Amino acid sequence: MKLIEALEVMKRAASEVAGLRIFLACGFTPLHLQTFLSAELLVSTPRKRPEIESGLFGDLVGNIERFEPRGIENLVVVIEWSDIDLRLAARSGGGWRVSQMASIIDSAHESIARLERAIAGASVQIPTVVCTPSLPLPPMFTTPRTEESPPEAQLRCALASFVEHLSQQPGLRVVNTQYLDELSPLAGRYDLKSDLTSGFPYTLQHASAVGKVLADLIRPRAPKKGLITDLDDTLWAGILGDDGAEGISWDLEHKSQMHGLYQQVLGSLGSSGVLIGVASKNDPSAVKSAFEENNLLLTQKDIFPFETHWSRKSESVTRILKTWNISADSVLFIDDSPMEVAEVQTVFPDMECIVFPKSDYQAIWELLGHLRDSFGKSAQTEEDLLRTASIRQAEIWRELENSSENLADDFLKAAESHIVFHTSEPVDQRAFELVNKTNQFNLNGKRFSEREWRNLLSDPEVFLLAVSYKDKFGSLGVIAVIMGRMYAGKVNVNSWVMSCRAFSRRIEYQCLQYILDAFGADEIAFDYAATPRNTPLRKFLTTLLGSPPVPGIRLTKDQFLTKVPRLFHLVEENAHV
Amino acid sequence: MSERDIRLLRCFASVFPELSPEEIRIVSSQSNGHWDSLSTVTLTALVQEEFNIEIEPEVVPELDSFEAFRAYLQKSDSCRSERL
Repeated sequence: MKLIEALEVMKRAASEVAGLRIFLACGFTPLHLQTFLSAELLVSTPRKRPEIESGLFGDLVGNIERFEPRGIENLVVVIEWSDIDLRLAARSGGGWRVSQMASIIDSAHESIARLERAIAGASVQIPTVVCTPSLPLPPMFTTPRTEESPPEAQLRCALASFVEHLSQQPGLRVVNTQYLDELSPLAGRYDLKSDLTSGFPYTLQHASAVGKVLADLIRPRAPKKGLITDLDDTLWAGILGDDGAEGISWDLEHKSQMHGLYQQVLGSLGSSGVLIGVASKNDPSAVKSAFEENNLLLTQKDIFPFETHWSRKSESVTRILKTWNISADSVLFIDDSPMEVAEVQTVFPDMECIVFPKSDYQAIWELLGHLRDSFGKSAQTEEDLLRTASIRQAEIWRELENSSENLADDFLKAAESHIVFHTSEPVDQRAFELVNKTNQFNLNGKRFSEREWRNLLSDPEVFLLAVSYKDKFGSLGVIAVIMGRMYAGKVNVNSWVMSCRAFSRRIEYQCLQYILDAFGADEIAFDYAATPRNTPLRKFLTTLLGSPPVPGIRLTKDQFLTKVPRLFHLVEENAHV
Repeated sequence: MSERDIRLLRCFASVFPELSPEEIRIVSSQSNGHWDSLSTVTLTALVQEEFNIEIEPEVVPELDSFEAFRAYLQKSDSCRSERL
């Protein structure tokens, strides 16, 4: 983005109400970085005008230590070498003598430790984004620039260790310097004239790149959940029906390693909880043999479901979406045939459909990077790792739901189900994620920013319960979250969500039973609101109440007890309510 | 109005969105209370980016009006033509 474009974006949004307050902590004058950051945030969320505050010039760590998060949604920390030691700045005249190097290194270690403490402390209170030094070190070392000098290496090593520590902190996101290197080449970042005349060290092009990456981390887009791939000339090179299982390849020997890389990336995604499905016009038995006889880098276990037949691809995609129970906009479809891609895109306009660029190495490499961007998320949860297995199980449960009540009782009893109620913490990523992504079994569809969520949970009257489930078929991990208030002997449930993977197990009944028992309540009030997609929740409440729910509904203990079916779960409590 | 003036007008309009094109043509740091040091730094950066030129720091204090920027660009263009 050019500076004039950034200013024009801000001009267009001038009449919008300020909707996002950010504190930008940096040791230099924020100037154009502030402009680019505002503009990039406006591009991603046009109706939420950011208001960016900044602290004192030249005192980065002090700005963070003094920072009070009142009313602020995000803390953004932009560090430069001058914040690590002032002598590393072109503006200071602190001296670059060989005899001073040891002192500079010592002071850098101290500054980094202090910064780490300050940032870690702030990130507990507020979502924080950090950009570590992105400018080149000054020409202060005694080796030629082609050769790394020991003090230079020591500084980078101290910084790398700092980044490693920060990247493990929950609630904190660190800019990936490799990605920033791609957006903004190192040689074009530093503006010495601007640094010396106005205290702003970045070129406009670098300020724009940093602003974009920071905005992406402040407002990360929701990761996609599933990938549907074709097989022939996509997952492997060759046509299975023509070449046979021995004729397909994905390796260096057959000059088809790019397909092997694609398989590796899909394997990595699958192992991190991304759903991988196959839609292929093929003979199902041939596909089965191909997976069994060949040592593919992506195995049958990583994929569910397989749609292999000769019907239209859009029909396969429809069935896969139904099995996964997710919407088309959460899914990416990849096929080497432009015609198949066009057919699926027509039926699912919200789905991202990509032609696999089978003979273009660079384009495949870029596609693999795009997959990381589309599916990547800040933290993996235990539930991510269980997702594919639990969707396979859900098929069994869905069939059970259509069976008679006695049969269902027998099955549920034999399932050896085990429910644990945990008191959740505000930084529990899974609880926060579940509340913000569940649509169907959702009391009111309300979403929260990280800041709102933490604020809410700091209220002593508010309780947060995370519910985890397992049975003899396996564990589903945390599948429900209940958030509410307990006051004057009454329970008010403000948020209640349950993953669709957990339907048909009567977990929702057990949740209410637990609340009534644990709080000793005679009645539960619900902040219910109908949404376009919360029909399963609405049906459940209708069953209990005898009529469709309305906002402000209450359920008495007696009403519940007359409707609750037999529950067979072994309930464990890890909560203190 | 020349193409150069139109581009310069756009730079000024992004820094002073409250001014009409007519007002921009006569604006100066003296006549406009919103014109502060930040406006000067931003205008300088914008003009450098838009016209792909380098403005020397010692010249910046003299660029205190639309007309001053316009004259600077004109002079800069003439120098470039002479060099060519």
